[in-house]
Amino acid sequence: MPALTRDEILPTVTEIVAKVFGLPTQELSPELDLRQIEGVDSVKVLRAVATIEQRYDIELEDEDVFKLKSIDDLATVIEKTL
Amino acid sequence: MTIADTNQHYDLDPEVFGLFLDPRRKYSSGLYESPGDTLAEAQDRKLHFVARRLGLKGGERLLDIGCGWGSLVLFMAEEYDCEVVGISPAGRQHEYIAGLARKLDVSDRVDVRAGHFEETDFGDERFDAITMLGSIVHMPDLSGVYLKARSILRPKGSLYVSESCFRNAEMHARFGERDGTHFVRDAIFGWGDMRPLSELVRAAEDAGLSITGVYDLSEDYRRTIEHWLANVRAHARRIDEIQPGMAEQLTYYLEVANAGWGYTTKHYALVSRRSR
Repeated sequence: MPALTRDEILPTVTEIVAKVFGLPTQELSPELDLRQIEGVDSVKVLRAVATIEQRYDIELEDEDVFKLKSIDDLATVIEKTL
Repeated sequence: MTIADTNQHYDLDPEVFGLFLDPRRKYSSGLYESPGDTLAEAQDRKLHFVARRLGLKGGERLLDIGCGWGSLVLFMAEEYDCEVVGISPAGRQHEYIAGLARKLDVSDRVDVRAGHFEETDFGDERFDAITMLGSIVHMPDLSGVYLKARSILRPKGSLYVSESCFRNAEMHARFGERDGTHFVRDAIFGWGDMRPLSELVRAAEDAGLSITGVYDLSEDYRRTIEHWLANVRAHARRIDEIQPGMAEQLTYYLEVANAGWGYTTKHYALVSRRSR
């Protein structure tokens, strides 16, 4: 399978994050600091990460998981792992 | 923080727990085999698993530390004819267990005591096996607990401890003071420390016990909590009638717990034995 491009990853990640956070996708821009969104904490970010790992059947590096701030960061570490 | 503060969560109205736990009210991880397993099946399987790890053959004398609503005490008395002593600081649990023991006709083999294990004087009482399912997390003096457990185990007796642990010492230091950890530890329980497995192993070894098994039950606990969360959602209205705001608090606690498995936390069973 050819590796997915960043443009292919971003919409899927946005959709998963929106679903876990209970927000419409339009409210999530790639650069937004996820933990600054009202009602979002590290627990919700971890749940989003877990869902993404299941979807792509990957395991992200611990350091990446605990460092990432935005959907953009997520797409970067997924791209790196795939 | 004194150990007298540790039971606030467990001393809530027992009906709350009846609304989201399995019929035995076992408040710890089940053991799953297939995708269709119910919570009740997983909890029964887990209790048999504990019995096998302890090498129970029937008729042994068993001590369950932090016995909750008596699921293990009653199960081992009924299924394995064990003579079981349960100990727990949460007073509301004892009447409940005594009532069930009468109903199941095992009152003669079940003895439930109120209090803290650390402060209990067992005199010359000895046990063939000791269990601590999710209770050592609430006890500040880990090595003292292991030493005391060893001192009341008969030779060749086994100790089964299952516990939620930070994944390693670094995670323990890094996440031990986060908001989610504080909430679970302080708002829900009063005191708790999810030590990494290495600390439990060390305490067991230092007490003179031999390690006979380590089992990773993290995925089983995740599924158990999924079942509890579904039950809290289904009974939220009734739970809030008994204790306003409780459904939301429970949901947050359980979601924090389930977000961490594998990332920051693990759930292990550690079995050790009083033998060389």
